[in-house]
Amino acid sequence: MDNSILQLFPLQYRGIWQRTAKIQDSVQEIRLRAGRPVVLHRNGSEVFLDRDGKFIDICTDAYTVTERVLEEILEHICHYSPYAFEEDLKRGFVTVAGGHRVGVAGQAVLEPDGSIRTLKNISFLNIRVSHQKKGAADKVLPRMYRKGSLKNALIISPPGCGKTTLLRDLIRQVSDGNGYGRGMTVGVVDERSELAGSFLGRPQNDVGMRTDVLDGCPKETGMLLLLRSMSPEVIAIDELGSEGELKALRQASACGCRILATVHGEDREDVEHRFSLQTDFWDRMFEVFLILGKEEGKCVVKQILERGQRIC
Amino acid sequence: MLKGVGCCMIFCGCLGLGIWYRNQLTGRVRALHSLRDILELLAGEVRYGRDTLPECCRHIAKYLPSPFEEAFLGIGSKMEDNTGITFEEAFREGVDSILAELPLKPGDRDDFLNFTRQTGFADSQMQLRAIEQGMEQLGATERKLEKENDEKCRMAVGLGVMGGLLLVLVLC
Repeated sequence: MDNSILQLFPLQYRGIWQRTAKIQDSVQEIRLRAGRPVVLHRNGSEVFLDRDGKFIDICTDAYTVTERVLEEILEHICHYSPYAFEEDLKRGFVTVAGGHRVGVAGQAVLEPDGSIRTLKNISFLNIRVSHQKKGAADKVLPRMYRKGSLKNALIISPPGCGKTTLLRDLIRQVSDGNGYGRGMTVGVVDERSELAGSFLGRPQNDVGMRTDVLDGCPKETGMLLLLRSMSPEVIAIDELGSEGELKALRQASACGCRILATVHGEDREDVEHRFSLQTDFWDRMFEVFLILGKEEGKCVVKQILERGQRIC
Repeated sequence: MLKGVGCCMIFCGCLGLGIWYRNQLTGRVRALHSLRDILELLAGEVRYGRDTLPECCRHIAKYLPSPFEEAFLGIGSKMEDNTGITFEEAFREGVDSILAELPLKPGDRDDFLNFTRQTGFADSQMQLRAIEQGMEQLGATERKLEKENDEKCRMAVGLGVMGGLLLVLVLC
C-alpha cells in the first residue's frame, strides 16, 4: 500500500494524516490554507478532515491549519533547506518524494525587472497526489508502431484529460520495450517535473529502464542538451508551448530522433490555429495524433489520426 | 635496587600525568579544528552544490575520518528515509555520542551544533552565514587556546617532572 503522502508531514502532524494516507489512491488533491479548513478532493468530490483525521462533509468541525504549521510542513518538504528549492519555489511548486507536487502561494517578492525572486509568507499549499497509471497506454500502443518502428506522436488534450499520464506510460513502455517494438533509449525533458516526478534528480515515477530524465530544464534548451549528451532514440516532452520548442523538436527529428509530445488543445485545428503553423508542418513532424477528451466524466482517447486520416 | 626502580616508576608516573594533561589541551585544539573542517565542508556543499543539508551530510561523509564518516552517512540516510524527524534531531542523534568522546567543552559543542537550529532559509547565503558563524566561533576558541596552550603545555610537562622529582626526594 502506497502511503507516501505521509512523508510530506513532520512527525508531530502525521497522526492526523494516517487515515488519508491509507486511501491516498483515491485522493487527488489536498488543499491547505492558513486559518481555513483542510479540503481534500477525493474521487471528484470535496471532503474535510476533523481533528482526528476522519473525513467529514461539513466544514464547521473541520481541522484548520495555522500559518506556522504550513511553514513547518513546507520546511519539512524542503528537507529543512528551502534555499535548495529556490527555483522550484519561484515556479510555484515543489516536486517531492513519491512524485507528488506541492503547489505554493503566498506573497511574491519581485526583482526590479518584475520577475519573481521568491515567495514569502506562504499561506497556501496544494498537494497534488501523484497517481501513476501503468497500462494507460496499452490501448494506443498498437497504433504507435509501424513494423516495429515507433511513429512520431502528438497527444492533444484539454487540461485534466490525462495527457501526461498517457505520455508517461508511453515513455515507460517504449523504454522497456513491448510486444510491438524493442526497448529504446528515451530522453525526457521534464520542465515541470510532472512526467518523471523527479525529487533531487531521481525519478519517482517508473519511466522505464532506458530513460534519461533532464529535470527542471526549459524544454527548448533541454532537448538540444539531451541530443548532444545522451543520444536518445526518442525525445519526449510534455506540453508544447512555444515556437522555439517546435523548432528544437524539428532539430531533434532531423537528427533521427522519434518524438513523443503533448499539447493543450481541443483538436488538431485548435492546435494549428494556436501555433499559426501550416498543416504541412504538423504532418511532416508527427505521424500519429492522439486526441483525448472526456466522455461521461471519464478520460478517453476520442480519436486517433494518422497523417490527417482518422484511423480510430 | 628496588628503591631505584620505585623512584623511577614514581617519576615516570608524574611525567606521564603531565604529558596526559598536555595531550588533553592539544586534543581539544585538534577536535575544534576537525569540527571547523566539517563545517567548512558543509558550507562548501551549500555554496557550490546548493544541496539540501541532509544531502550535504551524505556528500561530505567520504571526506571525513571515522567515526564522523559513518555518522554523517547515517544522518543523510535517516533524513532520506523520511521518518518525520527534523534535521536538527537527526544531526544531534548522529553526532552526540561522537562529540561526547572528544575533549570538548559544552560551549564548543554548542558552537558546532548551533547551525542545526537555524534552518529553513529561502536564501542559501543566510544558511551559509549560519554555518559560518559556527566556524568563526570554533576558530576563535581554537586560536585562543593555541596561544594559551604553548605555555600551559610546557607548564604541564614541567610540573609533571618537578612533581615526580619532589616525590622521589621526599620518599627517599
